[in-house]
Amino acid sequence: MAILNINPTRMALLGLKKKIASAKRGHKLLKDKQDGLMQKFMEIIREAKKIREEVEERLGSAFKNFIRAGSLMSEEFVEGALLYSTAKTELTVKTKNVMSVRIPQFKLETSGDVITYGYLQTSGELDMSLQSFQDVFPLLIQLAEIEKSAEALADELEKTRRRVNALEYRMIPDLEDTIKFIQMKLGEMERGSIINTMVVKAKIEAQAQ
Amino acid sequence: MNQYKMAIIGPREAILGFKALGLEPVYATEPKEAVEHLYSLRREKVDVEGESISKYAILFIMEELARDVTAEDYKKLSSEPLPAIIPLPGHLGTTGYGLQKLKAIVEKAVGMDILS
Repeated sequence: MAILNINPTRMALLGLKKKIASAKRGHKLLKDKQDGLMQKFMEIIREAKKIREEVEERLGSAFKNFIRAGSLMSEEFVEGALLYSTAKTELTVKTKNVMSVRIPQFKLETSGDVITYGYLQTSGELDMSLQSFQDVFPLLIQLAEIEKSAEALADELEKTRRRVNALEYRMIPDLEDTIKFIQMKLGEMERGSIINTMVVKAKIEAQAQ
Repeated sequence: MNQYKMAIIGPREAILGFKALGLEPVYATEPKEAVEHLYSLRREKVDVEGESISKYAILFIMEELARDVTAEDYKKLSSEPLPAIIPLPGHLGTTGYGLQKLKAIVEKAVGMDILS
């Protein structure tokens, strides 16, 4: 590992020791955060897959019906029929904080009826498709919520993992090596000065005789 | 508590039905168009109690259009908590794009694909 470019002095040693203490504490905290995020992510991701598969299945059939309805009726009629829809959707959003990741929580309130047109000029397929659209809709909102959360968590997880690794494999070993280096250097200097005094003392004694 | 809107982007004949549900339809047939719409929809803000928040909470987009949104664009578009951009399978059936995206998310988070 690399030794940091720093003067081997007692001051620098003290500074480095403080630095390594906080680095270790930070590493522990980040590691805990990573574990927490991972736990949450695992909870979410399997559900996300389940919902996604269900949506794909149900929406596919809803679309088929709708396209069929569109082919049986002229487009103006379809659009006209849908103009009168009294359906209202209200979406409220709360954000929840999970390990400093803000994840949205959607709440859907629907009111009114989609099918408000006369039955004379419209086909049964349109009714069916609209009904199935309305049925899948809450599921779509759920999917949106859960996928967005998974995405945000994945982002944060990646960032945290990078930080943890940088601390664990780079910063902390580097600091440890540098501290060791400074300690050796200081010890060496100490020994050097003792030898010096011993040599001087021997010379003085030799002159006195 | 704020009221948000939802929008759906796709070809006209496919998303008409969603209009009846109260979603805002945005017509696009080309991926390029769709990306432009995504950007402009994301930029739309409303002022609530002095705070400027995103007007739309969820942007649905048809899979066949979402498939051609570049990763770079997608990253820019989804950088903020809202809106959520969710690809939906169209009338042609699923292309597997949604699951692919999930897999990419898992791979990013865990380091390998554990879903399959």
